[in-house]
Amino acid sequence: MAMLTEVWKLVFKRPFTNRFPAKYAPKNVHHFLRRVQEGKEKIVPPVPTPPNFRGKIEYDMDKCVGCGLCIKVCPTKAIEFRQCEKAEILHCKEGVKLATPLKIRIYVSRCCFCAQCTEICPKKCLSMSSEFLLANEDKMAKELIVDGLH
Amino acid sequence: MNDTTYTIPVGPVHPALKEPIELVLNVEGEKIVGVDVICSQVHRGIEWLGMNRNNTVQNIYLSERVCGICNVCHPYCMVMAVEDALGMEVPERANYIRTIVAELERIHSHLLWAGVAAHEIGFDTVFHYSWALREEIMDTIEYVTGNRVTKAIMMVGGVRRDIDKDRRERIEKAMEYYLQHFHKIEDIFLHDKTIKMRTRNTGILTKEDALKLCAVGPLARASGVKKDVRQDMPYGAYAELDMRAITPDMYTGEIVGDVYDRIIVRLLEVKQSVELIKGALENMPSGPILSEKNYVKLLSILKRAEGEGIGRVEAPRGEDIHYVRLEKGKESFLSWKIRAPTYNNVLPWIPMLLGGEIADVPIVAASTDPCMSCLNRVTVVDEDKNKKYEITKDYMHEQSLKKTRRLMRNE
Amino acid sequence: MNEIFEIFSAVVGTFVLGAFSILFGLSVKGIDRKISARMQWRIGSPLRQPFRDVRKLLLKESVLPKNAVSWIYNSSPVISLASLLTILLFIPIGSIPALLGGSGDIIVVLYLLIIPSIAIIIGGYSSGSPFSSVGAQREMVLLISYELPLAMVIFTLAWRLNILYPSYSALSFETFQKFPIWNSVSFLGFIGAGIFLIVILLVTTAELAKVPFDIPEAETEIAEGVYVEYSGRNYAMFYLADAVKIVVLSAIIIAIFFPYNLSPLLSQYYPVAPWLGYTIDILFFMFKTIIIAIIAMTFLRTSLARLKIDQIVKVYWFHLFTASLIAMILIALDTMGVF
Repeated sequence: MAMLTEVWKLVFKRPFTNRFPAKYAPKNVHHFLRRVQEGKEKIVPPVPTPPNFRGKIEYDMDKCVGCGLCIKVCPTKAIEFRQCEKAEILHCKEGVKLATPLKIRIYVSRCCFCAQCTEICPKKCLSMSSEFLLANEDKMAKELIVDGLH
Repeated sequence: MNDTTYTIPVGPVHPALKEPIELVLNVEGEKIVGVDVICSQVHRGIEWLGMNRNNTVQNIYLSERVCGICNVCHPYCMVMAVEDALGMEVPERANYIRTIVAELERIHSHLLWAGVAAHEIGFDTVFHYSWALREEIMDTIEYVTGNRVTKAIMMVGGVRRDIDKDRRERIEKAMEYYLQHFHKIEDIFLHDKTIKMRTRNTGILTKEDALKLCAVGPLARASGVKKDVRQDMPYGAYAELDMRAITPDMYTGEIVGDVYDRIIVRLLEVKQSVELIKGALENMPSGPILSEKNYVKLLSILKRAEGEGIGRVEAPRGEDIHYVRLEKGKESFLSWKIRAPTYNNVLPWIPMLLGGEIADVPIVAASTDPCMSCLNRVTVVDEDKNKKYEITKDYMHEQSLKKTRRLMRNE
Repeated sequence: MNEIFEIFSAVVGTFVLGAFSILFGLSVKGIDRKISARMQWRIGSPLRQPFRDVRKLLLKESVLPKNAVSWIYNSSPVISLASLLTILLFIPIGSIPALLGGSGDIIVVLYLLIIPSIAIIIGGYSSGSPFSSVGAQREMVLLISYELPLAMVIFTLAWRLNILYPSYSALSFETFQKFPIWNSVSFLGFIGAGIFLIVILLVTTAELAKVPFDIPEAETEIAEGVYVEYSGRNYAMFYLADAVKIVVLSAIIIAIFFPYNLSPLLSQYYPVAPWLGYTIDILFFMFKTIIIAIIAMTFLRTSLARLKIDQIVKVYWFHLFTASLIAMILIALDTMGVF
């Protein structure tokens, strides 16, 4: 009968729940965030992420050579090739020529955060950030497509 | 079936079941006189994906998603099967890290189960309490592997992340926390009168039935079958850590085989896991954590590989088996067969529930810690809704033989 | 002219009492949820959550199951709520006497208390779902189990008071109000009444169908049992009935065991205006109700697991019956003046 006494102790304890983003869930998140920006309300910070956390992927387009190894190992097929719109000067065997290099585009809405692509990347142009607030109504939202352009 | 009997469908969607499965109960008043279990409500075609779409490295993360809670056992089992097929050696340190992560997962799974079981008997305070205690292990897992749930730590030939000094300290801190709080969990679950009233002598599975129906894991151990892959066929670092299967008579001195015994087994296993992790951390050798660091090379090795392998892992729910067959030139598996523990633990529901009451159904079903999405490997699709499908034993046997022959000839 | 005024005041009083009990019942529900959440180490929903629930339920469609008996199915929530509101007319609240009080009102209340359960049973059977049939069966067993200790508590105490004050009507809340039971008995009777208080608190938990005794609903077993098919307005009625039931049962316990008021005590020190006295007494009544709700409902439902049907019958017919019997003997000894 441990709980008969334990409940009375728990009543006076601070609740275990982390009050993120506020004590009670706001009715409208956008509205709430706007008020936080205006300084009218305070946001309770989330539990800090540990080092080497696997969050939203980051992509350094300039380093990428377009080898496609990440596409090969991605379990969810969240990465696809993308032809660069801007032509670049490339140095190759035949000399110098103007071409549009291959880059990649990552759809975060499909990502399973295994970080396999960041490990296989020979140029280490992919990395995992600690950003984890990625919920969105639109799968194709701008924040959820990583192609190094934005 | 007579006039006083009527049928209650429990499932496919029912608050007692966290995942879809259908139980058809024939009851007389409150007493259960007939039970039928209808599986295959959540077939997801994972094996098919592994055999047709993904390559081996992708399959590791696919197998992680066979079951959300056992997301170390399935990839562990799969990479063991692949290593078996390749004849690849795993570095000693990697074995220790795998063991530690698997035991961390066992603690989290058992505490999660404890909460769910308490909820099934209407004890929501214990449910919230044990899940609050579980938070510590979740944070530890997040610190060690980078995410709370999916650990993504397994790799063919080793592990992807090392346990360095910081992570080691974090794990040690968590283990201290659980050693301190263990007596409280024990007090709540094993000495509470109402929990005992609900679980003692309910859902009894005799040793004979457990052996006959091939029950595995804590379910079998609670019935007195000393069966544990970690003890019988040690993998990872278990042989060095001297691991012994836990039976309820270690605590109470007798084996009843009821739900209460299963609670005892699981709680003692939490304690055992804490000790195993402490032992593993102390004895962990230094050295590499991957036998093939270059993933590109690993991929080409896997593509050229030929052969078959079996992996056996003691998941928190019981024995998990993966069978893998690789073929030269084919990136995905030629054959992949998963035998999840729930597959064995669903049939014992019938002897456990017969003669019981309707009130026993949730806790007895939960006491096996079922995982339906692990279980389902076949589904019957019928466009003509009125036609009733019945798969007989002979038909099933015939199909199995056909499949085996197809695999043997490498067609 | 006087009669018309009486009828008019009774009608207005009924409406006021109904509105008060619904609003107060929902608030008690909110407090209960908040405290039980804190007992479970979490924050819990805000206090106004039950009001939001009712508002939402009232907006939703009331679905009629295919094989339900529609008129019974639709009328049982109304009967349940109406009978509970009727009970309130017989119970004194604070220092306000009962609207329809009089000789023998306890018997009326005891019978009226059964009606909500009967309405739930009939509603459960008429909704034509196997789960609600099982729930209705269980509600019936529960009803049979707690009626015996409840009747023993009330009739023993009424008998004791009747012997002491034969000139007053025996089975009336007015008598209980006038002579609080604790003041009318000696030491043995005091213990007996204490046992009776514990018994009636446990009976309250079962009447409210809260966790150790919530078998008719039993979410994880039979998916809310009797209420499984109810939705929208019909379910909102049951929800309100549940809220009012908390007030009603607490009011009965208060009327029998704690009929004390603050205003007589205060008026000893300085004069209290009548309206202020009524307000203070009603606030004190609300305070007592919340305390009883926390003990009989929140505390028990957070710290115990749900029992099985046979265990519940055993608790009431064996443990609580024995306890009541002992208390009865103690009070009888007290009456005979052994000590």
